[in-house]
Amino acid sequence: MIMSSWLIVLIIGVPWLGAVVLRLVDDRRAQLQHTLAAAFACITGAVSVALLFFSSGEVTLSLPLGEVFGVFTFVPDAFGVSLSAIAAAIGFLAVIFSVDYMQGEAQLGRYYSFILLFIGAMVGLVLSGNLLLLFFFWEITALCSYVLISFYNDDPNAVKGGLQALIVTQLGGVGLLAGALLVQANLGTYQISTFLAEAHTLPVGVLSLTAFGCLFAAAAKSAQAPFHYWLPGAMEAPTPVTALIHAATMVNAGVYLLARFYPAFEGVPGWKTAVVAVGSITALIAGIMAITAVDLKRVLAYSTVSQLGYMVYAIGVGGVFASQFHLFSHAIFKALLFLAAGTVIHSVGTRDMRQMGGLGKSMPFTRAVFIIGSLALTGIPIFNGFWSKELVLESGAAVGPNWAYIIMLIGAGLTAIYTIRMVWMVFYGTPASEEHYHDAAPFMRVSLSVLASGVMVGWLLVGPFGQMMERTLPYHHLHVLTLPELFSEAFRGAPLTLTIVFTGFALYLLLRKFTALWDQFDWLVRFADLDFGFSWLSDRFAGAVQGVAESVRVTQTGQLNWNIFGLVLGLIVILAVLIVGAA
Amino acid sequence: MSLSPVTIIWAGVFCLLGIGLYGLLAVRNLIKVIVALQILVKMAMLSLVAASYSVDKLALGQSLAVMVMVADTIVAVIGLALAVQVQQRLGTLDISELSRLRK
Repeated sequence: MIMSSWLIVLIIGVPWLGAVVLRLVDDRRAQLQHTLAAAFACITGAVSVALLFFSSGEVTLSLPLGEVFGVFTFVPDAFGVSLSAIAAAIGFLAVIFSVDYMQGEAQLGRYYSFILLFIGAMVGLVLSGNLLLLFFFWEITALCSYVLISFYNDDPNAVKGGLQALIVTQLGGVGLLAGALLVQANLGTYQISTFLAEAHTLPVGVLSLTAFGCLFAAAAKSAQAPFHYWLPGAMEAPTPVTALIHAATMVNAGVYLLARFYPAFEGVPGWKTAVVAVGSITALIAGIMAITAVDLKRVLAYSTVSQLGYMVYAIGVGGVFASQFHLFSHAIFKALLFLAAGTVIHSVGTRDMRQMGGLGKSMPFTRAVFIIGSLALTGIPIFNGFWSKELVLESGAAVGPNWAYIIMLIGAGLTAIYTIRMVWMVFYGTPASEEHYHDAAPFMRVSLSVLASGVMVGWLLVGPFGQMMERTLPYHHLHVLTLPELFSEAFRGAPLTLTIVFTGFALYLLLRKFTALWDQFDWLVRFADLDFGFSWLSDRFAGAVQGVAESVRVTQTGQLNWNIFGLVLGLIVILAVLIVGAA
Repeated sequence: MSLSPVTIIWAGVFCLLGIGLYGLLAVRNLIKVIVALQILVKMAMLSLVAASYSVDKLALGQSLAVMVMVADTIVAVIGLALAVQVQQRLGTLDISELSRLRK
């Protein structure tokens, strides 16, 4: 085997081995658990960085599994290696952060082993070159997300949030599976590269079904409207988990899916418009909900939903490179924001922003990194969010429908409003209590500083990132940029967006001064608190499913004779169908 | 019309199928249910042999039938052991009584 195959084996094998080992360590030896988890995550991170230098568009590792499953292949192309580097590196930082954050918690074995399992599965998801294998990894990440959201399993909210996330993402998984099976039925293979090469030979109906199935799956996984409500519910998870899974990696899987199959789907009538609509509407409503939320992690969750909307929108207007670049930036700055928020929550002991305020004095380090993350989120130069968001908006302005572009600009303003509101409520203003809170602990500082420097200089990698994409993705025909091109491109639209952002800042400060004006938006606040009716819809749906299940329960009599009768009846029906079909 | 041996075997297969299914549907005694199950398995074995004869792969069918015998013995043993336990704990072999477990 060549070097890169070994790296692929290691990058999935090491965290999964770690997951097993952590499970075997006694929960009373917490120090050993922390050390082992950090060691395994560190090795994975190192391997993922090494893999960056071995990117190629060829199948590097294949496991032939016979007729039904086809050949399971791994392809370390640009999407694969860059996303696995994000997953493994941020995974490592999240584990380091957990050493302080989870100090003294019970059942660390379960916690760390599922984090490591997740890292392996996420890396496998982005590296796999086989649709069925991709689906398997997709579902493993959903499982890990569920287990970790419900980590505090004596808290009913955590259990509810976890179940909701699991059900919604599984529902989406059906779309992906249907797409994979359709491709197999029509092309006779699960290989993604074959699919991308021969997609145009498929009948239009089949291709549309696959395309919309994948959009459905992506919307559920990436918390896009109308499925966005599971992500705020997922905020019950321990904060490092949120930063890793629900900000930096797993929620990007949907965007990844759309980007990966973009060459096959771009010709499907109506698909791009649907993608643009999903992305822009999500960005708008999530932005509004972020303005009204008072739970610090929920604000960040809505903000994540909204930024994912930007990425989806970018794919809809053909800016696959812009979308991936924004994904890359967002993963870093949102992980930073979540971990910094975790530091605050860890010392204050609540997530309610109304009980914070004035924390900047006692937590200067946390304030500094949080503000760096916030500036990137709003898109202030020179932070990484600025470059990528400008690219997204530029590709939208050049191609897309104008209504969507205007919605995205409004979204940029909303981002500015909720970000300054969040920073203000947490770090400035009048303190809610006289208590002096401790700043970030040493291990937390390490993670936060690494991420903060990533936010400031990460965008400098745009040149190599683009070259790698151009070299290893033969079907995408990407419009990649070098660093100087990025400069001119970003600053072309910057005056307009920056005006909107600063208007947002000013508007917030104005509204703070004149509370009467704020009260004018009371109806909007109440409507946003109700999640624009989406959770109501989902509750109704869940109720209906339960009702059906209750009524079908009658058939489960427990009588053996009755069951045999059902079996025989089924057999007769199948035989009848076969005979009629043969005739 | 003359009856070839294969036709006779197939007729036997369907007879066994009918008897076995009737047993499972109508009988309430657990031991008799296990007997009915055994009849169904014998039906499967017989049809394996008959089918392999028809496609000229007799060795394959016979080896499969031997494997079924092994598996089938285990099923019978476990089933009967369960029946003994049910009799000892619940004092009855009536399978409709067993559905009390559901409540």
